[in-house]
Amino acid sequence: MALLFDILSTAAILFIVSCGLLLIFGVMKIINFAHGGFLTLGGYVPLVVTQQGWMPWSALPLALATGLLFGAVVERSIVRPLHSRPLDAILATWGLGIIIGQAITLIFGRGVQFAQSPLEGTTSLAGTEYSVYRLVLILLAAALAALIASVLNGTRLGLITRAVTLNETLARALGVNSSLVRLSTFSFGAGLACLAGALITPLTSVDPNMGIPWLTNAFMLAMVSGTSLTALAAACLLLGAAQVLVSVLVSPILGALTIVVLGAVVLRVRPTGFQKA
Amino acid sequence: MTTPVAVKGFTDRHSRRTLISVAAVALLIGLSPWVLPEFAQNTLVRACLYAIVAITVDLLWGYAGILTFGQATFFGIGAYAAGLTFTHLGFSPGMAALALIGGILVSMLVAALVGVLSFYPGGTPLYASVVSLVLPIVATQIIFSGGTFTGSSSGLSGFESFDLDITVWFWLSAGLLLVTTLAALRFVRSDVGRLLVAIRENESRCDYLGLDAARVKTLLLVGLSAVCAVAGFVYACYGMVVAPEMAGFQFGTELIIWVALGGRATILGPVFGTLFIDLGSAYLSGDLPFVWKLILGLAFVFVIVLMPRGLLPAIVSRLGLRAAPAVAQTRSRLALSEPQPLAGLSNRGRLALRLDGVSRRFSSLTVLRHVSFEARHGELLSLVGPNGAGKTTLMRCISDGAERTAGVVELNDRPIGKLPPFRCVRLGIGRKFQTATVFEELTVLDALAVARSRLDQPSLWHRTDTVRLPEPALAIIRTTGLEQALDMPCRLLSHGQKQALELAMVLALEPNVILLDEPTAGLTKPERQQIGQTLTALARDHQLCVVLIEHDLDFVCEISSRVIVLHQGEIVMDGSVDAVVGSSLVREIYAGAAALPEGLGSRP
Repeated sequence: MALLFDILSTAAILFIVSCGLLLIFGVMKIINFAHGGFLTLGGYVPLVVTQQGWMPWSALPLALATGLLFGAVVERSIVRPLHSRPLDAILATWGLGIIIGQAITLIFGRGVQFAQSPLEGTTSLAGTEYSVYRLVLILLAAALAALIASVLNGTRLGLITRAVTLNETLARALGVNSSLVRLSTFSFGAGLACLAGALITPLTSVDPNMGIPWLTNAFMLAMVSGTSLTALAAACLLLGAAQVLVSVLVSPILGALTIVVLGAVVLRVRPTGFQKA
Repeated sequence: MTTPVAVKGFTDRHSRRTLISVAAVALLIGLSPWVLPEFAQNTLVRACLYAIVAITVDLLWGYAGILTFGQATFFGIGAYAAGLTFTHLGFSPGMAALALIGGILVSMLVAALVGVLSFYPGGTPLYASVVSLVLPIVATQIIFSGGTFTGSSSGLSGFESFDLDITVWFWLSAGLLLVTTLAALRFVRSDVGRLLVAIRENESRCDYLGLDAARVKTLLLVGLSAVCAVAGFVYACYGMVVAPEMAGFQFGTELIIWVALGGRATILGPVFGTLFIDLGSAYLSGDLPFVWKLILGLAFVFVIVLMPRGLLPAIVSRLGLRAAPAVAQTRSRLALSEPQPLAGLSNRGRLALRLDGVSRRFSSLTVLRHVSFEARHGELLSLVGPNGAGKTTLMRCISDGAERTAGVVELNDRPIGKLPPFRCVRLGIGRKFQTATVFEELTVLDALAVARSRLDQPSLWHRTDTVRLPEPALAIIRTTGLEQALDMPCRLLSHGQKQALELAMVLALEPNVILLDEPTAGLTKPERQQIGQTLTALARDHQLCVVLIEHDLDFVCEISSRVIVLHQGEIVMDGSVDAVVGSSLVREIYAGAAALPEGLGSRP
């Protein structure tokens, strides 16, 4: 039973961490390598909140707001000029990730630090003792998926975003302000990344490079999911389960490789990944 | 035209200048140990070896268009080959030789695996980058899991190695860098270097020129992995320490940063970029540990956004210096190729083309349904039909074995099975695309040379400036005035010239079946007539089987020996021009007689 909870909560964490990257990749066809930097940035918000002695839960909206604002600035200054050069955008956002990491190092130091968790302890569920916070993350991941889906399907901005995703040229010809869509997408994606950083911090510690291991997994999950949130959820569940099983049954070191290796194999065999053909 | 004497003078001057600068650099390397402090020499040994790896990144990324994060791993393999051998088996010159050879072999083997995984028909550049990203991550984890054997996360140190003076190490590594740089500069100007640019520019055109782009890229990767392994080996011998970071993702991205800052696709840019940044890091990171990396990050983003070509090209153009022309192109000329009995025109079957029950479905949508016909050499066959009839899809099915969902296609009596386009070309087919696709960055001569790469083995070292073409291709180049524009980049050609060049490139393959998708679209009346004459001559005089998609029915009637009418994915008529023109069915398909050109019905 604990294994099942492990799989579910791992999948939930993976989903939380990669949905921002997927959103940006799906709409803008750009791989945001600053995603790791945004995660780190978000990860330091709970630390500041702890240091200031505020309520731990307040870190979440603060992280989201930080990401939204920061993402908007980055989109205007760095990402927009690279619209027609997607491979260069990978590099520029990677550079941005370095800048974020170094700036954080300058401010907070390079050491490992801990933030207070909003929920401590374990609970007894279905006969096993399990961390409350990890269980809550499963619910939060589901809520997040519902939130993104409702924004995409229920609002006007979501509608034109889907139009840009499918065919940007046509959408522009129909009078859609695709520049606004790009701005809001990148900003929202960065917001989700920071939120994810704030959510995973209580599980581990924070350090200026904490985002990078997450980045490679999130990157691979976004690659196999293309533009679809459902595909991402499926990919997180399947590859997350594989990761947990390999870590438990074989070795944690191989477990850390499961997602990237399996993802590469999946893409080679089936270039559309987990999306429907 | 320059006289031969003047040409000779120019190249002599050019090579003398190169020789002088090489000698100057060698002298500088030879003398600098007496000027530089030991710290600088130590740093430069490392920087020179890194720069060698940066050159390989530049060749892959700048020239072949493969953004790779994986070159660090090959460096790491070379380094660990030395570290593991010396730690576990002891040091001796013989062991060192063994370790070097072992490192190179393992590196090449891994590169071959990565190449096969990354490059395949239909593979995207992004996927290749993904694989190159996975490679260092896997490599580091393998080192981590090796326990005391690999030294895990702290690496291996304290093993014995060559006991050389720092000055000797400096000469060795700077000399290696100099040799690698010169070899790389020579390589990118060779025939194969030109081929790499063509693949980067337009891989699908290369595919239909009979070139196995995946194989070329894999071979390039394998060759360059050996270079990286040598650099890694020397580094481990010099530093007497190996660490997992040497094979890691972080180092892989640093290499990219150095190359991008220096200037990709310049060879020299990445070399200077690496030397300066690594020296700078060594001197500045002590005083300003994090600020230095912050500045690097800022500079990197700045250069990527504002100077996509990097610093070296930006400086060169700012100073008004023109880089020496890539090659002394003044000797470019064309010649008639020797007939190649088995590879060329004479390699024909009884039937040029046979289709039997060819279908193409896209999930529930059927675009082609049981298309069957035969065509002989010397026939000029036109495919007509309204938009969406499946004409272009049919051409794809004939030239790419993976395209159709059912049926048999035979070229010169041989079934194409599931062969990719470049293998179909070897069965004697040439395909010209609907929109003229040439290599924008290459010159006309280069484009023709690339088209000949399949038949005339390209050199890794020399640049061919005389391209041999078969007679029909040569005739097109001559009649369209392209022979006077051999050194002009293809992007400057007019639309008509591009169409003519692409046709000449296809004919340079010496096919005996050619597929042409709307060759006259967007051409003027005289250009159209010229193409018409060329095509009839190809069929009549050279006995080619010409298959043509055309909307201009006047043009079709003028030149065709046979017409096939395609409607909603099926052949509705197959016969002579007169039979098709007289058919009421064709009128109906084209939505009434009004859509037919005037006077068509009353043709003799």
